[in-house]
Amino acid sequence: MLKDITLGQFFPGNSAVHRMDPRVKLMLMVVYIALVFLVKGFLGYAILAAFIAGTAFLSRIKPKFLLRSVKPVLFIVVMTFVLNIFFYRGEELLFQWWIIRVYKEGIRFAVFMALRLVFLLVGTSLLTLTTSPMALTDALERLLKPLNAIRFPVHEMAMMMTIALRFIPTLLEETDKIIKAQTARGADFDTGNLLQRAKAMVPLLVPLFVSAFRRADELAMAMEARCYHGGTNRTRMKQLHVTGIDYAGIAVVAVTTGLVLLERLL
Amino acid sequence: MPVEARELTHTYNADSPFESTALDKVNFKIQDGEFIGIIGHTGSGKSTLIQHLNGLLKPTGGTVIVNGMDLADKSTNMKEVRRTIGLVFQYPEYQLFEETVEKDIAFGPKNLGLDEKKIAARVRDAMRLVDLDYAQFANKSPFELSGGQKRRVAIAGVLAMEPDILILDEPTAGLDPYGRDYILSLVENWHKLGRTILMVSHSMDDVARFADRIFVMNHGRLEMQGTPDEVFDQEERLRAMGLDVPAVTTLAGELSRRGFDLPRHIHTMDEMERALLSLLGGKEHA
Repeated sequence: MLKDITLGQFFPGNSAVHRMDPRVKLMLMVVYIALVFLVKGFLGYAILAAFIAGTAFLSRIKPKFLLRSVKPVLFIVVMTFVLNIFFYRGEELLFQWWIIRVYKEGIRFAVFMALRLVFLLVGTSLLTLTTSPMALTDALERLLKPLNAIRFPVHEMAMMMTIALRFIPTLLEETDKIIKAQTARGADFDTGNLLQRAKAMVPLLVPLFVSAFRRADELAMAMEARCYHGGTNRTRMKQLHVTGIDYAGIAVVAVTTGLVLLERLL
Repeated sequence: MPVEARELTHTYNADSPFESTALDKVNFKIQDGEFIGIIGHTGSGKSTLIQHLNGLLKPTGGTVIVNGMDLADKSTNMKEVRRTIGLVFQYPEYQLFEETVEKDIAFGPKNLGLDEKKIAARVRDAMRLVDLDYAQFANKSPFELSGGQKRRVAIAGVLAMEPDILILDEPTAGLDPYGRDYILSLVENWHKLGRTILMVSHSMDDVARFADRIFVMNHGRLEMQGTPDEVFDQEERLRAMGLDVPAVTTLAGELSRRGFDLPRHIHTMDEMERALLSLLGGKEHA
């Protein structure tokens, strides 16, 4: 039952987008997000749409998966759209009823806001679909390295993230197992009022916490046995390299940026 | 309470790239009071199979019928099914959660809706069955106990529901020899009370010793079913499936090859003892 939940929606592959250096991907994503906010008109969105469509095509991710990322927040997108239509005060009144006034600029603004959200979601999910969570934390660690200067424990934070991500599937599996074991003992997780349901969670949560602590303990022991002592002087097995694909990616984003800036000026 | 599987099939993640068939048209019939041993290498579908028998998993094809109740039917009363069939998972001690041993064992009977008096009696009975002294353990936290004791508490939690059919998934995994013998004799005693047992095990020795019939799972199919003699006589076939025969059977084969005149079908320590004694002149050992 819990196996259906996908966390970290990484979709393994070997496309050009997959093979890009995660550091470069992460930085280009920052640029892309800035572009989404810089865009002024529909032409700009068309440029971004072309960029996303091209990247998605290269990554061989099905559009279905990309659009799936919008689904959980569709409500927010629609809300933003509706609120903006009704509350934006412009000059050209299109429609008025009681206290509701819809302006032409309002509609334009609402469409823009909705598009902005959709572009943000689709773009970022394109990143997470093509980059494994581990690669992302790796990239984050490297990019945040300068913060070491102000004694921010970059490596430790990244290690914690990695471990947390690593244990999500394990804990899900464990949860599934405990749910089944307690169900076999006649536990009922699905019916009753709120209080009864909260109470029914105790036989699930206690064993889950116990096992999480046990696992943490074992992992700490295993890491110490392998002489782990934090980030100092630690080398990596997989070195990140900026390659031709990355330069190509940077070039594409640069061109897109140029076009978007041009559109803004016109 | 007969158990019957008809063309039982289960496919995980159907219609997705991760689709895999864990059970493939499994058919069997289990009579009252039988002791069934289930063997098969890791990933052969044993766990998926037993989870179907008390409705934790729903078949994607075929059905399971327990005592006339069709488990594939949505309208079947699942509470009644779970009262009829007790399932002890692998490493059951990880499901303990209550403050005291007594409360934890009472969890199952409570879910069955029994009254306080009955629950208390059930808890005492179950603790006696797993040989945990009531006065000593009832008010202890289950988290203070040793590994073997924890497992006995967890098993008592299932026994307290007084199931007619008891299913155990590798009940001896991770225990020391003493703990293993303990759990096995407990299972044997429960069986002697006339109850049906299904035990998944990786130990051919244990299966040979206790089971009336053995189910051999391989790639989601019920590859063989029969008495220990019928199954363990097919050594080659078992080995091809990544399984083995009991250690004494290997020894008997080795001895026969070297000219000792031993009878066929030696699968347990007792059978070996008798055969060797009669070979040495029928004298009882001192």
